[in-house]
Formats: sequence, structure tokens, C-alpha cells
Amino acid sequence: MSKSLRIIAALAAVGVVGGLAFAFVPVQTTAPVAQLPDDWKPAEGQGKYVMYASDCLACHTADGGEPFAGGRAIASPMGTIWATNITPDPETGIGNWTLDQFRAALYDGIRADGAHLYPAMPYENYRKLTEEDVRALYDYFMHEVPAVQNKVEETKLSFPFNMRFGIRAWNWLALTHDAGFTPADGKTEAEQRGQYLVEGPAHCAACHSPRDMLMAQDGVSVADANFLTGGVVDGWNAPALRGPDSAPQKWDVAEMAAYLATGRNIHSTANGEMGLVVEHSLQHLTDQDNLAIAAFLKGADGAPVEMPENFATLETRALPALDADDAGKETEKMLTEAAPDMALGPRLYLDNCAACHFVSGKGAPEIFPELAANHIVTGSEVSPLISVILNGAEVPSTAKRPMHLVMQGYADRMNDEEVAELSSFLRKAWGNDASAVTAAEVAAVRAKQPH
Amino acid sequence: MTDLPGYPSRRGFLKGSAAGVALAGLAVSAKAQPVEPPAPLEEYECAYFTPEEWAFVIAATARLIPSGGEGPGAIEARVPVFIDGQLASDYGRADDWYMVGPHDPAADPLLGWQSPLNPAQIYRQAIPAFNAWCEGQHGKAFTALDDAQKDAALAALDNDEVGLQPELRDFFTILLANTKEGYFADPMYGGNHGMQSWSYIGFPGARASYREWATRYNVRYPLGPVSIKGERA
Repeated sequence: MSKSLRIIAALAAVGVVGGLAFAFVPVQTTAPVAQLPDDWKPAEGQGKYVMYASDCLACHTADGGEPFAGGRAIASPMGTIWATNITPDPETGIGNWTLDQFRAALYDGIRADGAHLYPAMPYENYRKLTEEDVRALYDYFMHEVPAVQNKVEETKLSFPFNMRFGIRAWNWLALTHDAGFTPADGKTEAEQRGQYLVEGPAHCAACHSPRDMLMAQDGVSVADANFLTGGVVDGWNAPALRGPDSAPQKWDVAEMAAYLATGRNIHSTANGEMGLVVEHSLQHLTDQDNLAIAAFLKGADGAPVEMPENFATLETRALPALDADDAGKETEKMLTEAAPDMALGPRLYLDNCAACHFVSGKGAPEIFPELAANHIVTGSEVSPLISVILNGAEVPSTAKRPMHLVMQGYADRMNDEEVAELSSFLRKAWGNDASAVTAAEVAAVRAKQPH
Repeated sequence: MTDLPGYPSRRGFLKGSAAGVALAGLAVSAKAQPVEPPAPLEEYECAYFTPEEWAFVIAATARLIPSGGEGPGAIEARVPVFIDGQLASDYGRADDWYMVGPHDPAADPLLGWQSPLNPAQIYRQAIPAFNAWCEGQHGKAFTALDDAQKDAALAALDNDEVGLQPELRDFFTILLANTKEGYFADPMYGGNHGMQSWSYIGFPGARASYREWATRYNVRYPLGPVSIKGERA
């Protein structure tokens, strides 16, 4: 079913149920999931740490703006949503909010004035935060974040999405899970910690779970069948994090943790949205927490979890480039022979790509990602691959791996037909098996780019 | 590497366009791109040269790298286009050179540029001076000489026997250097048209990817060149 039909169906449901709900039921907010002593104080740095884990900065800071002062435009299928000012400024921020009001925003998506937040705010996930983390986060925003007076643009979606009460009905249908966190049974402490971070603050499911008919996250807990089975966000595939072909299953725990903490490992690099997540959030987590996330993802469906002692260490070591695996041998051989009568796609690969990604398609460890079985190459959405070829890509500098990696764009070196030929080749090379790309699809991506 | 076939044996202005057509014919194969036949050199709109200078540069470069041999000549490679573009740009203006002096025409060339004139000015002043020398010797400008006379005149120029002013002493040196540069530089600078000279010598261009070939001794690398802008030949 197309996205527009799904939205219409969702709308219809929201309309009917929303009308009834709005008419008959008073708004309620969720109570604390634990009673802490009144004099409970977060540990030094705890609130800031929860902020990093929750990646509040990414949405609530505009490009070039003051931290947390809002004003960033968040693209949604319904229109542009403007992230709000969450500094403690009493007029334009949240300085007057009580702890209960703050918790209601995290748990129920309800503002201090009782209006409903749009679910671009991932309260489906923040609902899992422990009371300690809620209190720590509240303390951080009230006492450590500098107040910034910055009135941000009011989100004005078109009808019917401007009817915020409709969100209330949406919450009835989508927000059915209890507040607070329930660790899975029989798991190690590290895996349970990882589960908490993944399900809760890090809100991985916001992108990596599919969306259901209501555009709600189809899976918010590890017990849910579709949790982290892959989603599509703004034309990008957020890859599945479960299943035999998923990165957490193919990579060991140390490689996964390295990807999270440094944006790179011997297989891949974090580009686009995930690069931002690494830059603003995950690199600030402790090694133990990134290992915990990796361990949870590895063991989520029962695979044995072998915990390494460390990852992305600092000693000098050689990382040899890998040969193609069995599925990639045929492509590797064809590219190695470099026959002049080869098809245009592989010829373009040799002329433009092979110097870094190599004929093996394996790239260079921690620098250039593998293209064999790379989800950007083989994704159902082709615009990310086209965009990387045309505009290049970046991997952020991180504390443990400071090198900022940049791939140049090839918009000036290849025309639409050539990019289509190259993309189609990549999607079939080294055992990849994805559909061909057309010149029209390339033209559409090229047209979106500012020149 | 095989030679590009089909070069006509006659020299002259027609060469450039004829080679362009031949190249476009080659490009039908899967490996290379169609190449638009360029405007003939006599129809080219110069960025720097006057018509007289343009005729001289065409005639001179055609002798320095003649056509009719195994590979492309300077005319097929459109070397004059390269030189015109360079003289109109920072090279011609010596934008980032030390030009304050002192300049000593007697100094060893290894001591650097010894003229207060930039390369564009040297072409502008040296071409008429050299043509005047040719008139004095043969009663004709350089372009009107036959090939043997041209070669002898250029040899005299190279040997400082044509009486150029001291600040023009490097004219032949830069003319020869610019001709070689235009022959082998990336096509984006106007010369090396269709990467003919790269194809001729077996240089694969801006591909930078031969890791798996480094240990293949005495095996000919089969792929034709690629240019900085991604053209294939």
C-alpha cells in the first residue's frame, strides 16, 4: 500500500476515534514508574549523559543555533515540524515546567499547556526511561543548560494534521505500552543495559522499526516481532538490526561497538542520519554502554554473545584489505581482468570507485566501506546510493577515531545515464541482488541538490 | 597499446577536424564515449592569440610534434588550444611567479625566470620578431615556409641565432615546453584531445587504481584512459 493511502487510512481511523476520545475523556498523564525520595539527586554528569544517550541535541538545535534552543525544521510526511526550545528560558523554553510536566512530555507527548506534541518527538521510546533518568534529565535541563531566549516558529501543519487533538487519538492506538523499562529475562546485565538504551533513550526504533498503518513504530520492545526489522525514513533505508543478514549478526560485538562509537569499523561507515547519531550521541557514551548495545543486538534473538574486553583500541596496527568473499569472486575476477569490452557499469566502477573500494568490493578497513552487501547499495530505496555517488558522503570525527572521512561527489564526472549504469552494476555486483536504477531516478536526485 | 588508426598523412588545418571525425568513429565501441568533433582549429575562437599569432602557433607546434607518424601530432591533439588557454590564464600572466627582478638574461636558466615579461607577453613580442627574422632569411613569414625551412628556422630559434632581445630569450624553451604540456595534459585544459596521446603511449589517465596489476609483470594493461572529467577513450 502506498504511503499516501496509508496516511489516508491512518487519518480516517484517527478521525473517528479521535472525535470520540476528544469528546468524552479527559487528558491524563502517566505517573512516575518509581517513587524516589524527595531529596534524590542525580550523580554528577548523569543528566548530561542521559541527554547524550537520548540525542536531544540533534533535533532541538538549529544549524548554527544555540544548543537546545530549538528552531530546527524536522521533515515529516505531514509537513515541517519545528523543534522547540528546551532550554530553561521561562518565556520561550521550558523553564516553568514542573518535573511532572517534563515527564509527561517524555512519556505521553503532552506539553506543559496540555497540548499534544507531534510524534516526531519519540515519546514512544522515551516512555521507557527510568524515573532516575527522567529526574536526571530534568535536573540537567533546569540547572546545567544555559537559558536561551529564542521563540521558535510554531509548527503549522495543514488540515487535518493541525488538529493536535487528533494526536490524542493516535496515542490511544499507538501508545499502548506501559511506561518504564522491562528487561528481558535470562540476559546478562550488559545485554539488559543495552536493551534499555536501545528501547529507551537512544530511540533506535524510531528509525529502525517499520511504521505501521498509523505511522506509529511497529515494534518498540524486543518482544515485538517487528522491532528493529528495518524502516524507511525520508527516502533512506534504516537497515534491519535483526535477522541473519543484519549487521549485528554478521559483525562481532566489538565491530558493532566500534561502529557505534567511532562511525566506522572494518566493514562499514556511518553516513547520513546515522553519522549524525554517532557524532552527537553514541560517541559520547561509555565503552561499556556501546558494548552493551552491541551485545543486546547480538543476543536479541538468541545468538550467543561473546563479550570482548575492548574495541577500537589505540595501538598501531595494520588492517589489511580483504579479498572478496565467495559471493564476490566472480565480480572481483571480472574487474581484475579489466577487459576493454566490459559493460559500462563495471568500467565506470574501475574509472571512479575502485581506487578506494577495490575490485573486491571490500573497501579499506575503517576508511572505505564495503559495497558488497552494503544496505545503502542494495536498499529498497535507491536515492541514498544515487545521492552518495553524486554528492559524496562524510563520516564524522569521533573521540576514538578522529579522522573525518570524506568521499567526493561525482556529479560533475558522470551523467545521469552513467550513474544509473554504475548504480545498477553495484546492486548486482559481488553477490548483491537488487533492482536496476534508471537515469530518471538519478535525474530526480540530482535535481534536488542545491548548486 | 595500439595506435589510433586512420590519421591522414597530409598536414595542415584540416588535420584537427579530420582526426576528430576518426576518433568519433572509434568511440562507437562499448568502452569509449562518443566524442563531438571539435571545431576546426581555424574556426577556434582564441582567448588570447591574435589571428597572426594563432597561425604561427599552429604552424610551429605542427613541426615540434609532427603529424603523420605513429601517434597523433600536435594538431590532432589540439595543442594550440591548450597554449591559448594557458596564456589567457594565471600561467600566461605569471600570476604567482616572482617577477620583481633583478632579471639577468645571462644567468643560468637553472636560476629561474630571467625576464620581466610574463609568458603571454613573450609570445606576443617574440612571434613578430621571429617572423621578421624569417622574412629576412626567406622573404616569407614562418607560416609560409616549407617544412624543411620551418625546421631550420626553429632550430635557429632554439640555438639563439635569430637575434631576439634578451628578455625574449626563453621563447623557444616555453614554446616547446607548452607544446609538450598541451600534448600530454588532461583534456580538460584543451589539449590531448580525446586522450589520443595517452592512448598512444599507454598511459591510463586519472584512474589511480591498479593495485591488482602491480605484480603482473610484462602483462599489458588493457583498458584505455580516463580523463579527470571522466571521459573514456
